[in-house]
Amino acid sequence: MRIVPLLLLICAWQAAASFGVLPKTLLPSFFDVAAQLGAHVRSGEIFGHTAASFARAGAGCGIAVAAGVALGLIMARMRAVERAMEPILLMIYPVPKPAMIPLFMIWLGIGDFSKVAVIALACLLPVVVATFNGARSVDDMLIWSARARGTSEARLLWRVVLPSALPQIAAGVRTAIAIAIIVLVSSEFISAEKGLGYLIFSYGGVGADDAMLAIVIWLAALGYFLDRGYLAGLRRVMRWHAFAH
Amino acid sequence: MASCLDLRAVVMRYGAGPGAVNALESIDLAVEDHEFVTIVGPSGCGKSTLLYLVGGFLRPTAGSLQLRGKEIAGPGPDRGIVFQRYSLFPWLTVRGNIGYGLDEQGMAKAERDRIVDEYVQLVHLEGFEERYPRELSGGMQQRVALAQTLACEPDILLMDEPFGALDAQTRRILQDEVRRIWRRDTKTVLFVTHDVEEAVALGTRIVVMSARPGRIKEMFVRGFDVGDGEEFEADPAFAELKLRIWRSVKEEVEAARA
Repeated sequence: MRIVPLLLLICAWQAAASFGVLPKTLLPSFFDVAAQLGAHVRSGEIFGHTAASFARAGAGCGIAVAAGVALGLIMARMRAVERAMEPILLMIYPVPKPAMIPLFMIWLGIGDFSKVAVIALACLLPVVVATFNGARSVDDMLIWSARARGTSEARLLWRVVLPSALPQIAAGVRTAIAIAIIVLVSSEFISAEKGLGYLIFSYGGVGADDAMLAIVIWLAALGYFLDRGYLAGLRRVMRWHAFAH
Repeated sequence: MASCLDLRAVVMRYGAGPGAVNALESIDLAVEDHEFVTIVGPSGCGKSTLLYLVGGFLRPTAGSLQLRGKEIAGPGPDRGIVFQRYSLFPWLTVRGNIGYGLDEQGMAKAERDRIVDEYVQLVHLEGFEERYPRELSGGMQQRVALAQTLACEPDILLMDEPFGALDAQTRRILQDEVRRIWRRDTKTVLFVTHDVEEAVALGTRIVVMSARPGRIKEMFVRGFDVGDGEEFEADPAFAELKLRIWRSVKEEVEAARA
């Protein structure tokens, strides 16, 4: 049943294209786009680009999660670090990260480093904020309970604060995964030789709108299944937590 | 010999200046080994604060709190505490929660598992070892909390309205269990409640606290024994003591309202 609205949308799209509501140059037909996607999959060409893209997104997101959890925990436990980092993070948050790509290229070269760095920066903020909030809202009773059962002040972070914050961290990582895919495509618009963003940009540049849309849809589908897979994995690994949905 | 627990002239004030709240005022209380002391009083009288001071989670404004002759400086496994709710670690199973304190002592897994199994049996949770707290009823969660606390073998057991959030039937059954465990191990217990019946059914000594600022108003020694069954309820001495204590508490509840 959940798929019905999506199918209706596709029908409307195809109808609009078939009956010439919009000229083909503005809206390629769904069938043409689907045929392009099929051709890309059959030739196997798309898989190499997909692998290159997801390696960049994965590396950037991975770095962001490791650094973000560490920074968020430290900020939550140490006032001085919180005060020092808060203005920096709040200023970076609204900056459109793709706008910083040229700067990163000057610093890190035009290869993968600059792309991974910009993805990592974009993913860092939701992870830091989620970890910080999660670590700050740990129930006092749990801290007291652990202290009364022999946990030292130093071990609290590992034994109580981090596990308590995990549900919020997991939600922050979910946001980071979506952001990684968004920023990935922008980062591949410039100076990439491989990757889904590169394909989208190349096809768009030569007016091959049906092929371009085929890649966009491929990316959207991958993003969707990645999110579903992530949530399903979380439910298995964090069976102790009652997820909202 | 020194008392198990010795409180002298304990004062607790929250905040400073004109907005300060006097939670406790000159509390003197000695608890002997194997005693089961219940503290009953109107809500807001500072009875939980008193327990948190003994737990070492709060520092008194003035006065001294000693456990076996040593000043209490912070929380420690020599004082086990059961809170009213939410004190289990949600990410640990029943087994993980009961074994938590043993794990923190660095006990090897095989030894820990053996002790955990013992406590699982003691609180009748066989078959639930691998469940998580959210998969348990409130009553079962409190059984786990009790086992978790007992497994650390504390010198004194502190209980902060542990059954206050449970339905009446579950509460009765858990009261019987606590009394059974106390008789078996002759643990020393300091138990806070607002329920007079619970205070009399469990405590060998019942402390009534005044409305805020909390002071010890009266103490009652329960002169008769309460067995493992329900017979004590038919005992006129039980009804009479309950009534005397309720009248004492009621004055304070009314004072708190006025």
